[in-house]
Amino acid sequence: MHNTYFLLFYEFVKIGLFTYGGGYASLPFLYQLIDKYSWFSHSELLQLIAISGITPGPIGLNMATFSGFETLGLKGAFLSSFALILPMILITTQIFRLYKKFIENRFVESILYVLRPTSCALIAGVGIKLFYNLVLNNFSSINYKALFVVGFLFILTFKLKRDPIIYMAIAGVFGVLFYLFK
Amino acid sequence: MQKVSLVNIFKVFFKIGVILLGGGYVIIPIMKNELTEKRNWLSDDEICDYYCIAQCLPGIIAINMAILVGYKLMKLKGALMSVFAMSLSPFVSIVVVAKLLSAIVRIPFIEGLFWGVNLSVIVLIYLTLREMWKKSIVDIFSFVWFFIILFLSLIKVSPVLLIISSIFLGVIIRIIKDKKNA
Repeated sequence: MHNTYFLLFYEFVKIGLFTYGGGYASLPFLYQLIDKYSWFSHSELLQLIAISGITPGPIGLNMATFSGFETLGLKGAFLSSFALILPMILITTQIFRLYKKFIENRFVESILYVLRPTSCALIAGVGIKLFYNLVLNNFSSINYKALFVVGFLFILTFKLKRDPIIYMAIAGVFGVLFYLFK
Repeated sequence: MQKVSLVNIFKVFFKIGVILLGGGYVIIPIMKNELTEKRNWLSDDEICDYYCIAQCLPGIIAINMAILVGYKLMKLKGALMSVFAMSLSPFVSIVVVAKLLSAIVRIPFIEGLFWGVNLSVIVLIYLTLREMWKKSIVDIFSFVWFFIILFLSLIKVSPVLLIISSIFLGVIIRIIKDKKNA
């Protein structure tokens, strides 16, 4: 079992170190954990994504805490959150002292030039996977209810601001209604 | 102006952790309100600078922001306190939800709710991408690179490998450009 503690710590230090971008940027890494270990299943990951979105706090941190809890209970939750935050504390406090230089550094600029499209692509990949799982039922059939909800929210993006809570709330209400009247 | 002290840093960041819901984008208005307008601990410019750095660093933007602000106020102690305080309520709420998960999952319509929320994640990812796209896909190279990485991530190449290769490529591009100019 000690081995699992170590692996959990190692995997989340890695996520803290290599996640780059917004809230869902750590999802590709969590998908990878399903394939690598049997810590949680694919359907548990979907629960974890939903819950991390609707509880307070940064989604990436919530997902880490939750994954740790699913894997090794309270100790796991603490370990994975700590592991996720550790690289940020080490790197960010060091960068603070030279931040003017950091922002203007030619290498940093060039690395970000490549890293930004990479980060977009990784997040897009997760979007495609979710669409494939939830709307296309893994290519077996089309879930028209799911297609309707995604289509409806997509149209809303032209009208609404990008406050995520509104989208989650609307989709959640649809989900409950479809469930009750199925 | 409230005095800068560890206790006060704890209070502010605990509050930010509670009200931060649904992802990191809301962190700027919240921090402006709490740190600039109410307490005058930082200037608006500093918050914008920190956001810019936090986006360029690995990890979660909101946590990196907390580290930068905490470090600016009280060096390492301040950074540790702000991260601890901000993570506290997300940690507790996730652990509580995860503990009650088997009971929560038995609520009849919860399955519908999670299903809906996960569908909204597809649209939230789209919104994130729409925002990131403008800054990230700036020329033909970044456009092509985006699709290369998307393809590689869909055939399950490790995201860590993709990020490391991007950093290397960024360095190489810089060196080639410097040679051309020399």
